[in-house]
Amino acid sequence: MNYTILVCCGTGCIASGSLSVVEALQNEINSQGANAEVLKQIKKTGCNGFCENGPIVKIMPGGISYYKVKPKDAKAIIAQLGDEPVEALLYRDKGKAVLTQKENPFYAPQVKVALRNIGEIDPCSLDDYLARGGYDALKKAINMPPNDIIAEVEASGLRGRGGAGFPTGRKWRTAAGYDNYPKYVVCNGDEGDPGAFMDRSILEGDPHTVLEGMAICALAIGANEGYLYIRDEYGLALKHVEKAICDAEAAGFLGSNIFGSGKGLNLSVVRGGGAFVCGESTALMASIEGRVGEPRAKYIRSVQRGLWNMPTVLNNVETLANIPVIINNGGKNFASLGTEKSAGTKVFALVGKVKRTGLVEVPMGCSLRHLIYDIGGGIIGGRPFKAVQTGGPSGGCIPADMLNLPVDFDTLTSYGAMMGSGGMIIMDDRSCMVEVARYYVNFLAGESCGKCTPCREGLRQMLAILTDICEGRGKEGDVELLEEISETVLDSSLCALGKSAPNPVITTIKYFRGEYDAHIKEKKCPAGVCTAITGFEIDAAKCTGCTLCKKSCPVSAISGTAKSAHEINKNICISCGACREACRFEAIKTVQKGGLANAD
Amino acid sequence: MLIKIDGKECGCKHGEFILEVAKRNGIEIPNLCHHEGLPGQGCCRVCIVEVEINGWRNIVTACVYPLERECEVFTNSPRVIKQRAMVLALLHSLAPGSSEVSELCEKYNVPSYRRFVKKNDTKCILCGLCAKACESLGTGAISTVNRGTGKAVTTPYGEPSYECVGCASCAKVCPTGAIMVEEGAGSRKIWGKKIPLLKCKKCGEPAGTYMELRRAAEKLGEGMPELCEACRKKEIAEKLASIYGY
Repeated sequence: MNYTILVCCGTGCIASGSLSVVEALQNEINSQGANAEVLKQIKKTGCNGFCENGPIVKIMPGGISYYKVKPKDAKAIIAQLGDEPVEALLYRDKGKAVLTQKENPFYAPQVKVALRNIGEIDPCSLDDYLARGGYDALKKAINMPPNDIIAEVEASGLRGRGGAGFPTGRKWRTAAGYDNYPKYVVCNGDEGDPGAFMDRSILEGDPHTVLEGMAICALAIGANEGYLYIRDEYGLALKHVEKAICDAEAAGFLGSNIFGSGKGLNLSVVRGGGAFVCGESTALMASIEGRVGEPRAKYIRSVQRGLWNMPTVLNNVETLANIPVIINNGGKNFASLGTEKSAGTKVFALVGKVKRTGLVEVPMGCSLRHLIYDIGGGIIGGRPFKAVQTGGPSGGCIPADMLNLPVDFDTLTSYGAMMGSGGMIIMDDRSCMVEVARYYVNFLAGESCGKCTPCREGLRQMLAILTDICEGRGKEGDVELLEEISETVLDSSLCALGKSAPNPVITTIKYFRGEYDAHIKEKKCPAGVCTAITGFEIDAAKCTGCTLCKKSCPVSAISGTAKSAHEINKNICISCGACREACRFEAIKTVQKGGLANAD
Repeated sequence: MLIKIDGKECGCKHGEFILEVAKRNGIEIPNLCHHEGLPGQGCCRVCIVEVEINGWRNIVTACVYPLERECEVFTNSPRVIKQRAMVLALLHSLAPGSSEVSELCEKYNVPSYRRFVKKNDTKCILCGLCAKACESLGTGAISTVNRGTGKAVTTPYGEPSYECVGCASCAKVCPTGAIMVEEGAGSRKIWGKKIPLLKCKKCGEPAGTYMELRRAAEKLGEGMPELCEACRKKEIAEKLASIYGY
């Protein structure tokens, strides 16, 4: 029997030590001796998406998956190949051991299209990609008239996965319609949303699929040159993409003569310098050209005048990863997934206070509840769900009573949030929505390019007001003023960053107005998060004297002996809330700074 | 092509910017960061107007919005008035020392927002026209730095710039007079750099800084000029007058 051992070597698993697991497995294979009947091969794959349970090791064939593998586990894994699985390393769902990913509640409901190869192949191996049908779509496209390629993409209903959801086919058709050359195809890999890592995972785990998507786009619009703009922090992605370009060129899939057809595409990688705003199309192009990464007014679209003023198609990584599937299986087939207006699947980065965090790919139109409760397993500690923040820093917060909303481009937008690139941050009742708004406005105030007045100055004033509210200096009328500034920032900013920047403020006001009022009128933070106005007290009746709070306190403000009620010294306490997180008996109450107990 | 601005029919060329067309037709659209010699800045957002095409109304920036089809422009719709007032109020908090901004605030009845954080008496509205002027002259001594609310205009590392020739073009294009130019007896001080002035051989007034004149001479391939601009023009005029016998 030939066994392949797939070790997840995405950035997350590498951080948890998967490279030493690979080494240990290799040593074990060598030391346990070559068994003529059991051939073992180790492969380093891209991200499996279940990073918090990494390093992940998968045994093929069969697909038995081990989680949180340590180098010391290598012995048992190799010894028991083809035998009984190593029980201790299996994932446990409600106490029951789960053998394969198909049975795992995190993976089972997922439909992998963009992520189809990730975790299954070695991203540095062109042969691995070819073995799964790689470059078949390009081979097919090379013999298709450009119009047919575009028609197929149009029929798929594919919309841009970077956030705005612009129909990809329409973008290609517009670009193809201009007859000034050279034209350019650009891949946007400047993923900047906090907590989002969809694009990184694809670039790291399956770089060839992105290149193939770009080559098909180039054939469709008549481009001979392309760029991948990838943020410099994505070291592994850059390494894998650069290798993939070299390999594909050497194999004749890219370069001046694709499949001997005479048509060519030269790809280069450009490293982003770390500015969030460079994910905006015109700022990204300015950055590629070597200018300051600031957006320009888009009254003339970049598909008409983009890079160096020439027709340019800019597509997101995930969008491009879907292209080979569309060409191979047909646009109609792709459109059968998802909803009528949002076809296909979407990759989400599910993070925050949810039991199972990670990267998930689901058909569009599934409900938030499905994502959070079925795939995510619900809220940690069984606490009540409060809100989900979707769409990155300029997305919005959606409250609990809207959990049944389908996740697609138009629904989320109509409720003030947005799909964005697919970040999804789940919050429980211990998240303060005013502080959430302040956090995002602070992020955007620092990451706005600072070129136009409404965005730069509007965010500056909003941040000052929100900070005041969080620190107990809020005034009557602040909420109305925030709304007034928001309106101008939305309406008169230069680019999409400004035009969506007030979303976190607007949605938190809309759905959590009471929290703003509590901060402003009563100077208290109902969630017990805003340190300037929050204090903590131990309820002596509930405290069991377990000492967990005392151990967790970073400033030693808690005193008390085991099995007797503890006490917090208010003069030392910094209101960080670590004790409340540690307490298992709900014995820690939030109080207003100064001593007045909160209503709850 | 015909468009309508505030109800008035105006002729325009395809691709022309709204601001130019309005100006030609005597319709005033306030603006700060627009300079005819350096178009396309589009960042102060004071010149916002509403454009209606096929029933769709949008806020656009008049100085960079190209007219490509028939449309109707509103420079004083309720939405424009409201958003422009907020933009001006924000600019006023940024540059309380600018009389240009204060005057616009007064003219357009902008309420004062006491809640806004104000900067101390600064005049700069961060439009970046100065940096654009410097760049287009090929000097590149100043530029906008940082991003977001940390945006500023400065020389590299805030030190006197090696590249600066002291031409003061930055100060000339600044819509709010925010750039300090100290004209001394024999020198000009700008961006922390003191540059000697050359005196006009005829009238004795300063003809420009030594560095800017040398830069110009190098570019033109001529010798250092000896006269100030006024005297040079006068000399040419006199020459012409003598040729044509006036």
